Amino acid sequence: MAAAPDLSGLPPKADRAFGLKLVAPAMIILIVLLALPTVLTVIYSLHDVPASGASFGPFVGIENYQIIFSSPVFWRSAQVTATFAIGFVVLSTLIGLAMAMLLNQRFIGRGLARALLIIPWATPWLVIGILWKWFADGSVGGLNAVLLMLGLTSDYIPFLSDPNTAMPITVLAAVWRQASFAGILLLAGLQTLPEELHEAAQLDGANWWQRLTNITLPWLRPVLITVTVFNVIYAFLQFDVVFAMTQGGPGDTTQVMSILIYRQLFVNTNIGLGSALAVILGVVALVGGLVIVRLFYRKETM
Amino acid sequence: MKTTRTTNGLGSFSRRSFLKAGGASALAATLVPGLMTGTAKAAYSGTLDMLAWDFQPDTIKSLVGEWTAAGNPAVNVAVIPNLGYTPALQTRLRGGDKIDLYYNFAYNSQKFINEGWANKLNGLPGVDDMIADMFESARRRHVNAAGDIISAPYFSAVHMLHHNAKMLADAGLAVPTTLKEIYDASKSLQSKVASPYVAYWVKEFCEEYLHTYLLNEQITAFDDAGQPVFADDPKTVGVFEWWQAMYQEGLAPKSLLTDDPGKLSNEMAQGNAAFYVLHHYFLTSIRSLEGPESANVNMAPAGPSTLQIGEVLQMGQSDSEDERLATWDLMKYYGWKDADGKFKVFNQWAKAAGLAAPYAGFFTDPEVIASFPDYYDLAMLSDTFATKSNVVPARTLPWYPDFQAKVGDIIHALLLGQATPAKTVEDLTAAAKGAQGGKTL
Repeated sequence: MAAAPDLSGLPPKADRAFGLKLVAPAMIILIVLLALPTVLTVIYSLHDVPASGASFGPFVGIENYQIIFSSPVFWRSAQVTATFAIGFVVLSTLIGLAMAMLLNQRFIGRGLARALLIIPWATPWLVIGILWKWFADGSVGGLNAVLLMLGLTSDYIPFLSDPNTAMPITVLAAVWRQASFAGILLLAGLQTLPEELHEAAQLDGANWWQRLTNITLPWLRPVLITVTVFNVIYAFLQFDVVFAMTQGGPGDTTQVMSILIYRQLFVNTNIGLGSALAVILGVVALVGGLVIVRLFYRKETM
Repeated sequence: MKTTRTTNGLGSFSRRSFLKAGGASALAATLVPGLMTGTAKAAYSGTLDMLAWDFQPDTIKSLVGEWTAAGNPAVNVAVIPNLGYTPALQTRLRGGDKIDLYYNFAYNSQKFINEGWANKLNGLPGVDDMIADMFESARRRHVNAAGDIISAPYFSAVHMLHHNAKMLADAGLAVPTTLKEIYDASKSLQSKVASPYVAYWVKEFCEEYLHTYLLNEQITAFDDAGQPVFADDPKTVGVFEWWQAMYQEGLAPKSLLTDDPGKLSNEMAQGNAAFYVLHHYFLTSIRSLEGPESANVNMAPAGPSTLQIGEVLQMGQSDSEDERLATWDLMKYYGWKDADGKFKVFNQWAKAAGLAAPYAGFFTDPEVIASFPDYYDLAMLSDTFATKSNVVPARTLPWYPDFQAKVGDIIHALLLGQATPAKTVEDLTAAAKGAQGGKTL
C-alpha cells in the first residue's frame, strides 16, 4: 500500500532532523553568547543584585524600572540618545549613499578611493573617538585650523566644551565611521544595478532626480533596509566615541543611555539598575530596527 | 588579631605613634629587616598574583622581580589600562578571579572590603608600624572609622597651585592663597594671558576640585558619619560663585570641561596660563616639557588647606594564612619599605614622575631627596602633607563612588550657567544623600 502523501507542506521528518543537526552548532553558540546573557540581564533587572555577583540577590520586581522611569536623569538621557540616534542614522545613511553613488561613477583613481572608504570602517570606535577629540580640540584641533583657514570662523571654538556644539561634533565623529560602512554596502548594491535601466530612462527623458527616485533607490531598497537597521542599532548602542570625546559632557549634553548603563554596571556596580537600563535600551533599539523594517516594507508593498 | 583602635581614629593614632616612637621604635629599627621579611618567605611556596594599571609596567615588573629575587615567592604581574581600571577589576573579581594584591582607587577601598573582594590588614605583622609611620593626615585613607586597616599606600599627592612666578612678579602680584586672591590675580593677568587659570575640570575629576576648593575655604565637606555638612556652611555658596565666575568670566578657558591634563601642562609650559591647580607631580610634566615658560613655573600651597589624594594597594582573598602573609610581605615592600627599611618602590616612583609617599620619613630620606629634581620644594610639600591637607575620610566610604559619579554633571551645569550656586549646593546635597540612601541614577 502506498504511503499517504504529506500535505502539511513541511519537509519529511528525516530532512528536518538533518536540518536541525546542520544548524545546531550555530544555534548552540547563539544560545550561549546571545540568548543566555539576554535572559540573565532580564533576570538581573528584576533583582537587587549584590555588587559581588555572588547571587541574584532579593527579588524586587519592577522596582528598578520604577526608579529609572521616575528619574529625570533617565528622561534627559533618553532625549540625548534620541537626538544622537536621529542625527547618526540620517547622516550615516545619506552620506553613505552619496559616497556609494560617487564611487560608482567612472573616474581616475576610483580603485584607490574605494579602498580608502574602508579605512574609517576598519578603525575601532574608541580610536575614532580619540582621534576626533584631538581633531575637534578647542586650542590645537585641526578642525578649527581648517575652519579658520576657510574663513568660516574667526577664532578657535571649544567644540567639545560647548553644549551647543558637543553633540553635533560627537555625531559627526561617529557618522564619519558609520557612513563608510553604509557606503560599502550601498556600493555593493549599486554594482548589481543594470546600466541599461538608467540608459533606457535617460532615453525616455528622465532627469537625474527621477532616475534616483524611480530606479536607484527602489533597487537599493533591500540594502537600504539592512544599512538603516544597522545604523539604528549602532546609534542606540553608541558608547566608545562619545565616552572618548566628552565622557557624556559637558554636563549631561552628550550623556547617551549607554554611558548611564556603563556607570551603573561597572562604576557604581548597581547591577540590577544597570541591567534594567540595558533591557530598556535593548528594547528601544529592537523596536527602532523593527519600525525601520516595517516602514520600508510597507512602502514596497504599496 | 584585631587592634584595639577606637572609632574616632585620629586621636588614638597619635597616642599610638607617640608610644611607639618613645619606647619601641629604637628596637623596631633593629628588627625592621626581620619584620619586613617575616616568616612567609619560607612558608609559602606558591605564586602570587598582582594586578596594576599601566603606569610604567616595566618598572612594576622589575620592582616585583627584585622582591622575588630576594628569596620571596614568584609574582605574576598583570597590567591593564588605567582608563576603565575599576570596571575591569570589578568584573574580574565578580567573575571569581583570585588576585592577591592589586592597585585600587582609594574611593573603592571600603566598598571592596564590604563586597568581600579585599581583606582587612588588621593584625598583620608590622601593620601598626606602617600606619604609625604615615602622616597623621593620611591615616584615615587607610584606616576606616571602625579602626579597620583597609589598604596600604600605592602613592600619594596633594593639590598644589602651580604658578608662573615670573608672570606674577612682572605684574607685581604675590602668589595668591585664597580663592578671592586667585580671582583677583587672574583678573589682573587677563590683559597678558587670555585665560590665566587652568584646572582639570572634566566631569570625572570635578569631585577632587570640589574638595580642593571647599578645603581652601576651610569648609568641612562631610562629617564622620558621612553627612554632607558643607550644605550648612554659609561659605559654601561663595565657593560655587567663585567657581562659576572663573569659568563664565573667561578666567579659565572654555575648553577646560574636556581638556586633558597633558594639554594643561603644556599651556603652562608655553605661557598660555599662569595658574594650574592639580596634583603636585604635574610640576614634573610642566618642567620636562621645556617650553619657553617651563622654568618659571613653581608650586605653592593651593590654600590654607588642600585635598590630599592617594591611590592604594589592597589585598585580595587568600587561600591560606601563608599566602596571606606572603602577600602582606609584598604589600609592605611595595607600599611601605623594603627589607632594608628603604622606600625603594616609592623612590622609584619619585624618580619616574615625582609621586610621593604619605610617610614623613620619605621626605627626609637622602635617597628620596636626591630623586626629586631641584625645583621641588620638598619642605613645602612635606609640610602640606603633614599639616595643610586633608584626605576627606568620606571619600573611602562605600556609597562614595555613587556620589562621585554625579558630581561632574552638577558642577558642569554650574559652570555652564545652567544652575545657580545655591542650586548646586542643593543638587550636591541631594546627590550625597541619594547615594547613601540606595539606588539612584
